[in-house]
Amino acid sequence: MTEIPASVLVVDDEIQIRRFLRTGFELDGFAVQEAETGAEALRAVALRPSDLVILDLGLPDMDGADVLERLRAWSSVPLIVLSVRASESEKVRLLELGADDYVVKPFGMAELLARAHSAMRRQLRAARGEPVMKFGPLAIDFGARAVFISERRVTLTPKEYRLLQILAQHSGNVVTHQFLLREVWGNEHLDDTHYLRIFVRKLRRKIEADPTQPQILLTELGVGYRLVSADTGSGPEPAHGAPAAAP
Amino acid sequence: MVAITTAIALFLRHYVGILRGAVLYLVPVMIAGYQLGVIPALITAVAGVILSGYFYFAPLYSFRVASPQEVLNLLLFMVVAVVVSHLSSKAKRHILIAQKREREMGDLYAFSRRLAAAPSAAEIFIAIQDHLANLVQRKVVLLGGAGAGNSREVPEAVRAAVTRVESDAGIERTVGDGNGNIWLIRRVSPKTPDFGLVAVDLGNVADAPLAELRQRIDGALADAAATLERLDVARALNEAKMRSETELLREALIGSVSHELRTPLASILGAATILHNAPALERDPRLQALAGLVRDEAERLNIDIQNLLDATTISRQQVRPKLQWVEPVDIVNAAVAHRQRRLAGYPVTLELDSNLPIVHVDPAQVEQALLQIIDNAAKYSPPGSPIEVAARPNGATVMLSVNDRGAGLTAEEKPIFPRPAPCRHHLGLRPRLVDRQRLHRRQRRQGGGRKRGRGPRHHRDHPSAHLRCARVGRRGALEHRVDHRLGHRLGHLGHRRGDQRR
Repeated sequence: MTEIPASVLVVDDEIQIRRFLRTGFELDGFAVQEAETGAEALRAVALRPSDLVILDLGLPDMDGADVLERLRAWSSVPLIVLSVRASESEKVRLLELGADDYVVKPFGMAELLARAHSAMRRQLRAARGEPVMKFGPLAIDFGARAVFISERRVTLTPKEYRLLQILAQHSGNVVTHQFLLREVWGNEHLDDTHYLRIFVRKLRRKIEADPTQPQILLTELGVGYRLVSADTGSGPEPAHGAPAAAP
Repeated sequence: MVAITTAIALFLRHYVGILRGAVLYLVPVMIAGYQLGVIPALITAVAGVILSGYFYFAPLYSFRVASPQEVLNLLLFMVVAVVVSHLSSKAKRHILIAQKREREMGDLYAFSRRLAAAPSAAEIFIAIQDHLANLVQRKVVLLGGAGAGNSREVPEAVRAAVTRVESDAGIERTVGDGNGNIWLIRRVSPKTPDFGLVAVDLGNVADAPLAELRQRIDGALADAAATLERLDVARALNEAKMRSETELLREALIGSVSHELRTPLASILGAATILHNAPALERDPRLQALAGLVRDEAERLNIDIQNLLDATTISRQQVRPKLQWVEPVDIVNAAVAHRQRRLAGYPVTLELDSNLPIVHVDPAQVEQALLQIIDNAAKYSPPGSPIEVAARPNGATVMLSVNDRGAGLTAEEKPIFPRPAPCRHHLGLRPRLVDRQRLHRRQRRQGGGRKRGRGPRHHRDHPSAHLRCARVGRRGALEHRVDHRLGHRLGHLGHRRGDQRR
């Protein structure tokens, strides 16, 4: 039985960009659809659902952000934005609008493929509702609310656990400061980014081998944080014990 | 008043013995004429004549007057009372007019003083608006000049007249607003439209006061226009308008150049990365190296384009810091990660203190400055020589430093940067060239020092009141100075907050 390849919709008005993206994705085993305009993209997603959308912001008929907003009204397809606009505020806006990730042009194909796989895995995990996730030496047992580093239990405070839980649910993707503040501390603390810095520092001290050079909880400067992609294999099941945290 | 006068007259008659007190009734006539006007004064005079006849003319305590001589006296009293009432009423009017003129002169004098002392066109326009509003005691809107208001501040019915006067169709117009009020639309200066327009709500006034009011408005605007002309404001306003348009065009050009250059670069870089990792090329290291070369050069070109765009932004003084709480080590890690490929030929050592305070800075701008220093370190160091990037506490501040083994500046290499860009914002980069002696002096001051056979140490402190970092290469020295006044020890504040929560 042959496996159905994952499909990706590439939305860009530049034919050269579409051409190399097609080659790159096809070499990686994707089936590629193309769209040149925002309207075409919306039609394509509606008629033939894709597993992933790569969306350029500078489209001839409408702004990519508008396409993203309209698409998110009815579809949760993983979506990565391509843009030459690299300002942090723009990135935050796109992520808040519902983009799973962004890649600034010019970019290497390997980077885009890594982000693409990560976004698709997150979608898959969300559908499966995995009870245990592994990120290298870090394992999170959502059922037992327990966190392990190299199979050794780590004690987290409720806020630290909640922070890690949200990052894990979006692992591989950037989570904006505002989103984290809203989810962990509530709407009234959206501007208190120093809370986040302090708790991330504490969390890194507990889960990173060297907190000054983090390998698991990464910073996207001026935008948010990214937990590395979860391991694809299920890995060893961490020993269940008393809950480490009670969020 | 007549009753009070009568009471006083009776008192004088019975207790003091004054029998001829009819003249006392002139006092209420004068007071009524001054305070209430002619008609009340005449009524008071008639009442005074009647009561005088009753109390002072024979037969006493009767309204009948027996002697023709006494009748004549009463008539004379009546004439005097009428004249007094007129005179007192007129005196009152003159006093009021004099007071009004004095107030207007005071306003005019204050207006003239404001005009004479106004340092800018905006100040003059504010003075015009205040003075005219004071003059007419109604709404005044300035349109089209520096610091002018919005045409939506005038009623809908008046806007058409504003547009007509704006489009050179006459110097002034008078229109009704549909609610019975008259609006005067007039150019501030009849000579040029550059100074804008003024729309004055004159209210519902008759023709004569309207003409007088307009005359005074004309006078005030003539003074203001003369001051504006003296300041050569027209040229300044035109230049400001042109500068604004130039900025818009430049913005569009930079956006276009950025897009046009980066789009093909994205294709080249993307295609090169695909080729570099393609299985077909894995068997041929030479071809793979070529693909790697294309990729690296495309990345270098991208960095150069970004630097060019950044330099343009800085030269336009459009750098605005977006302050955030941030871990200093995150900035260092991001900068080193961004230059991973560029630093590939150099062993890079990171010395990052794990107990640094969080700082309140613009992370993107600080990272950008650090990227420049790292770039320079890589550019001017011998291949294979170590580069150390460190973040350490430095008193109340955090110091980021980049150490390389470059040659540094020689004494004769003292080039001067052609155009030091002024730093106008809270956080800005000021590139300029420095000589070696000055750099050494600064390093000694800051305890950095330069070791034999090594390049200089380049560091960045934050969030201190004065941030400075520099990197000296063989061909010259480029110093990036960041002036950043934050006002409080943010890093330590962050720690304290964290402690409290703990």
